[in-house]
Amino acid sequence: MNTTSHLLLMALFAGCVAVVGGVLLKDTPRQQARAAAEIFGSLVGAALVLGWLLYFFPL
Amino acid sequence: MAARPSTKRPARPAAPAPVASPAAKPLALVYLLGWLIPGGGHLWLGRSMKGLVFLAMLPVMFVIGLALDGRLFPFTPGDPLVALAAVANIAAGLPYFIAQALGFGAGRVLSVTYEYGNAFLICAGLLNALVIIDAHDIALGRK
Repeated sequence: MNTTSHLLLMALFAGCVAVVGGVLLKDTPRQQARAAAEIFGSLVGAALVLGWLLYFFPL
Repeated sequence: MAARPSTKRPARPAAPAPVASPAAKPLALVYLLGWLIPGGGHLWLGRSMKGLVFLAMLPVMFVIGLALDGRLFPFTPGDPLVALAAVANIAAGLPYFIAQALGFGAGRVLSVTYEYGNAFLICAGLLNALVIIDAHDIALGRK
């Protein structure tokens, strides 16, 4: 795979986990789509927030 | 004089006819199918849509992990973290054995995407374990 964009790979990972998680947790397609969107948003949002917080604590 | 209420108990509603339950399927086979073929347990239990999504997504995650230079960890009991990662890799089922047989999954530590690859490979296996547990619940009639 040629891409080395961390943001893209993180979003791809979050998308895969969200789809599987949403389908696993809920039973109707509408609920599954909603759950997947929530999981995706939570994962990406948490990663961005943590990333910005770590900006203030450089290694 | 008020009429006394009848002492006769109301007739019980007839018991519902037994519904064909997926619990009739042997659990061991559900586990084996679910492990070897991601989503296989769901497909066998008649949850086709869920099964197809798992069948598509989990191998895709596994292949992305290999493409990102991730490593299929060897089972080394002396190194607990590596051993746990190996268990997670093996939980992916047939994709793991196919990749091993074809010589993929050596891992390239110097690659920029090495850790991402490992995350995809390990999570594909762990999610498959969750899928097997879900199939177990369906087989027992809990879902």
